[in-house]
Amino acid sequence: MRSAPSLARFILVASSASSLALGTSCREHDADPRGGLRDDFGDAVSIAASPRRIVSLNPTTTELLYAIGAGARLVGRTSYDLYPPQAREVPDLGPGLRPNVEAVLAAQPDLVILYASEDNRDAARRLRAAGVRTVAYRVDRIADFARVTRALGALTGDTAAARVTVDTVQATLARVRAGTATLPHPTAFWILWERPLLAVGGGSFLNELLRAAGARNVYDSLPDPSPAVSFEDLLRRDPDVVLASPPTRARLLADPRWRALRAVREGRVLVFDTTIVNGPSARVGASAESLARLLHPSEVH
Amino acid sequence: MRASRWALLVLVLLVAGVAGVAYGTLRLTPLEVLQGALGTGTSMHIAVVRELRLPRVLLAALVGAGLGASGAALQGATRNALAEPYLLGVSGGAAVGAVIAVALHATAPLVPLAGFAGALGAVALSLIVARAAGGQGDARVVLMAGVVVGAFANAAIMVALAGVDANAVRGALWWMMGSAADATWPQVRALALHVAIGVAALLVLARAIDLLALGEDTAAGMGVNVGRVTLAVYVAGALLAAGTVAAAGLVGFVGLLVPHLVRMAGARTHRTIIAAAALGGAALVVVADLIARVAHPPAELPLGAVTAILGVPFFLSRLRRLA
Repeated sequence: MRSAPSLARFILVASSASSLALGTSCREHDADPRGGLRDDFGDAVSIAASPRRIVSLNPTTTELLYAIGAGARLVGRTSYDLYPPQAREVPDLGPGLRPNVEAVLAAQPDLVILYASEDNRDAARRLRAAGVRTVAYRVDRIADFARVTRALGALTGDTAAARVTVDTVQATLARVRAGTATLPHPTAFWILWERPLLAVGGGSFLNELLRAAGARNVYDSLPDPSPAVSFEDLLRRDPDVVLASPPTRARLLADPRWRALRAVREGRVLVFDTTIVNGPSARVGASAESLARLLHPSEVH
Repeated sequence: MRASRWALLVLVLLVAGVAGVAYGTLRLTPLEVLQGALGTGTSMHIAVVRELRLPRVLLAALVGAGLGASGAALQGATRNALAEPYLLGVSGGAAVGAVIAVALHATAPLVPLAGFAGALGAVALSLIVARAAGGQGDARVVLMAGVVVGAFANAAIMVALAGVDANAVRGALWWMMGSAADATWPQVRALALHVAIGVAALLVLARAIDLLALGEDTAAGMGVNVGRVTLAVYVAGALLAAGTVAAAGLVGFVGLLVPHLVRMAGARTHRTIIAAAALGGAALVVVADLIARVAHPPAELPLGAVTAILGVPFFLSRLRRLA
């Protein structure tokens, strides 16, 4: 890798780019022509009363609620909502897809936040029929982060906190993007699962994270967020670096088969723990920053 | 079976094996493949040929051989054309073991071991159920016991998968649909020993199976200890199948189909049927594995799905002849 940009240049470029970055991501389709808000099922959202008992059935929205200071109002979460640590104290109501509606009702929520999957349409209908305000959001891409954080701010009655959260993350992302823009981009393979071999695909926010951090995903063109790929296909794409969780990295290095991959032979298996990143939450900026540092250790500080 | 048919079977297996080593998602020239095999090529070509393709072709061949021989012996001993290696709850039991291991986040080598243990447990349970019902030597009772244990296993899988995360479910399903993708040399060596012992045991029993095929009374009249021989075939066939399941998951249809094909090709005695079904099964699974690898890049198709897709048309044409 060639000469590292000086710190001064880094900051200059970063600050000028920050106003552009993520500008396109704030799709304003959540604004209803009639003046109200709509969720990702297209249903009208009432923001009349500030909720006191919230059930969030998506690890990412749970994280976002804590980030905007509404975590103390949570009375239910899924089994997978383990961040921040306080979330573990919130009652576990089971799965986030096809949730147990009775368990949700038993928590006596005045707001339920679902993941906007077709699997959850029925649960949304039943919860509303039971008189519980229910909204559904998809939080899959970095663009969704800003949109949903603002919506959650409006719902919980703290738009200022939501704005600060969004601005902070966007500023960090912009700084990272600007800092890596002129650097050479190594090609990367991000392993999610070993048997079958699952990669981060073009449909994942981790793919966006990779791009922001200054790398090109070898499976960027696959629309699936976590496509299954064959080992020989991976060899054909010959990535410069492999990203893996700590235990996966140890197993790859111990397995003679993986010696066929140049990045493994040349010792470029980097540790980045995906299990600590649920989705594009408020940590997405910091994640991009640490990923950029990992990929460009001498250029990004 | 005529010598020319044997020669053809061996030739098909050899061609399939060479094709399996020569072709893959990664395009290598014949020279590169040869250099990889001889250890004189680039480190990547050596790794691709020696660590990826050779073990997986051999593993696929061993899985096919085990399933073919097991199916042939079980069809003979039960005098039932629908008997197959997963008969005594082997598939269900193996899947239960593997799914529980996946759900508990067990790492790679533990999953097949758990599958093997599950298969053994299911076989034991089927035989105990059959004995309790008073018919360990009665094919119908043993078949029923296997079906019941298999149904119970399916229910247990659903319960085990109810609370696990999406990637683990994908891992479990992928394992259940069969794959030779993760073949390693230690696995190939272990399965080679297992299949050699299993097939040898079935070949020893082959003469008795011939007599059993004439009917239990006739066999008993000719000095066969019907109960003991039947039990020995069940145990040997099921153990053989369980070993293949531990190595490559569930690869359906091979053990059902191949014995029929070799009988159609003229095999009459069970020594011939079992040996030819082992060769034919090996060739079929090697071809199926090659198709699974190259048909839909960058993903691989499940091996069990490919064998079923290849096998069903054959089986349907066979059904027409039976009717």
